[in-house]
Amino acid sequence: MADELLIAEKIEAGYPGKQILFGVDFSVRKGEVVVLLGANGSGKSTVLNAVSGFIKPFGGRMLFNGQNIAGLPSHQIFRHGIAQVSQARDLFPDMSVEDNLTLGASQRGAAKAAESRTAVYRDFPRLGERRGQIVRTMSGGEQQMVAIARALMSGPLLLLLDEPSGGLAPKFVDEIAQIMARLKQGGITILMVEQNIKLAFDTADRFLVLKDGTVAERGDVGQGVSQEEIVRTIYL
Amino acid sequence: MLAQLLVSGVSQGALYALVALAMTVIYRATTVINFGHGDLVMAGAFVVYLLVVLAGAPFLISALLAVVLLFAFGVAVYKGLIRPIMAGPHLALAMMAVAVGYALRGLARVVWGREVLPFPKVLPQGTFMVGPVILAPSDLIVTGSVIATVAILAIVFYATRLGKTAQAVFQSERGAALVGINVSAFQGTMWGIGAAMAALGGILIAPVTLLYPDLAASTLIRAFAAMTLGGFGSFLGAAVGGMLLGLSELLVGAYISSKLIDITAYLIIIGVLLIRPSGLFGRQAVVRV
Ligand SMILES: Nc1ncnc2c1ncn2[C@@H]1O[C@H](COP(=O)(O)OP(=O)(O)OP(=O)(O)O)[C@@H](O)[C@H]1O
Ligand SMILES: [Mg+2]
Repeated sequence: MADELLIAEKIEAGYPGKQILFGVDFSVRKGEVVVLLGANGSGKSTVLNAVSGFIKPFGGRMLFNGQNIAGLPSHQIFRHGIAQVSQARDLFPDMSVEDNLTLGASQRGAAKAAESRTAVYRDFPRLGERRGQIVRTMSGGEQQMVAIARALMSGPLLLLLDEPSGGLAPKFVDEIAQIMARLKQGGITILMVEQNIKLAFDTADRFLVLKDGTVAERGDVGQGVSQEEIVRTIYL
Repeated sequence: MLAQLLVSGVSQGALYALVALAMTVIYRATTVINFGHGDLVMAGAFVVYLLVVLAGAPFLISALLAVVLLFAFGVAVYKGLIRPIMAGPHLALAMMAVAVGYALRGLARVVWGREVLPFPKVLPQGTFMVGPVILAPSDLIVTGSVIATVAILAIVFYATRLGKTAQAVFQSERGAALVGINVSAFQGTMWGIGAAMAALGGILIAPVTLLYPDLAASTLIRAFAAMTLGGFGSFLGAAVGGMLLGLSELLVGAYISSKLIDITAYLIIIGVLLIRPSGLFGRQAVVRV
């Protein structure tokens, strides 16, 4: 129990006039990678947004380090140490890579920002080479890297990743897989949504399958659960 | 003659630029076109009028109070009326802005009827000559105040951390929230700054134009013309557009007919929309209401 970083308890959430999550339960332990699976429209992004405060759950509790953060505005949840890479990435398109990264650390003071930047450029050499490039002019895969790097700039305790491989060419999916492996080695805790089952299972310790607004299936990766079985659960 | 016109045009244009810049601040921060902005200008001037004429307060203190009061009013309008409907259709936001403006105007009419009030002579009177050009100290004060405001705005937006935050919110609201920026507090502040700038505009305009509730309408249309000409949403465009409008009005009045001064703004809007919808410095004309 003590090493649980995030516990979602009976989370009910959705959009005006349209409930999507009906009592979602799960937990994420410190240092582990949990992947959230589910069909399109099953509410995966909604779960992440309920954690980060972009939507306010109207039922249940979201315990982060034992504190209920459900209902807090997103900038306060961010200060607790939760950073999100959204599905649309939401970068600052007309700014340079460096400015995007610096803004990622804007709540931390200049010294910490410089420190994070050095670390990020070490882990993402490609971004170091292109620190002056305007983000709008980069490819999708490069932008995804900027988005992940920007989230890391805040030194988060929990990283939320929404389909890091979404819409990327195979070459980039491999690169993302390497980044994920490196992040995991660094000991960061991750809750991610990923449709690419191979990528998901290569990085994750545990999986959750979201269906009809609840967690329909869950388990440890590599405990004899076949990927085909899970795919069947998701789509049938 | 021409030199004189240019000098007067610049002083007039500076005022339009100020109001257009204030609207641009609000537009860039929240994508709301504040159709009630002229009424904020009028309200700022009325507050000063109240304090100076009815309460006998000194002008500078009254002006400062009006600017602070309008700042608070701008924040309150955002928090109470705009924020709750931000997720809704854009038309609702525009209607809300119109409603707030007309409510202010209605309030002013209740107190003053349709009277035109002579604004107290708060700015220094008289004129002096520089070469062939007659200058009024009041023109210099107006132009100077506007230049100072624009300079402060430019420094804040382009050379401070707050400026980076502002650009972040302008480029992606959601992205700003993702890096921990309190977007709603920021947007509230920008409405406050926009309203405070409107008040400053009112305080500087009223001594020139007299004071009446419908001051709002003529101010709003000129700010629109300035923004359209300069390029909607561009700070540089608002400033340059305002100056050019001020100059055009005087040149049209002097060389064509003074009867055309009041419709110059409309003609510019129509012309720009037909010939170059993005204006001088606009990126694209995708303004939806
Ligand atoms: N802003 C919104 N307003 C109303 N409904 C929404 C909104 N965002 C998502 N929805 C609806 O909520 C449901 C779940 O959406 P969500 O984005 O969480 O799904 P998802 O599992 O992430 O899907 P995908 O795999 O396509 O990203 C969908 O039916 C979607 O249409
Ligand atoms: Mg999604």
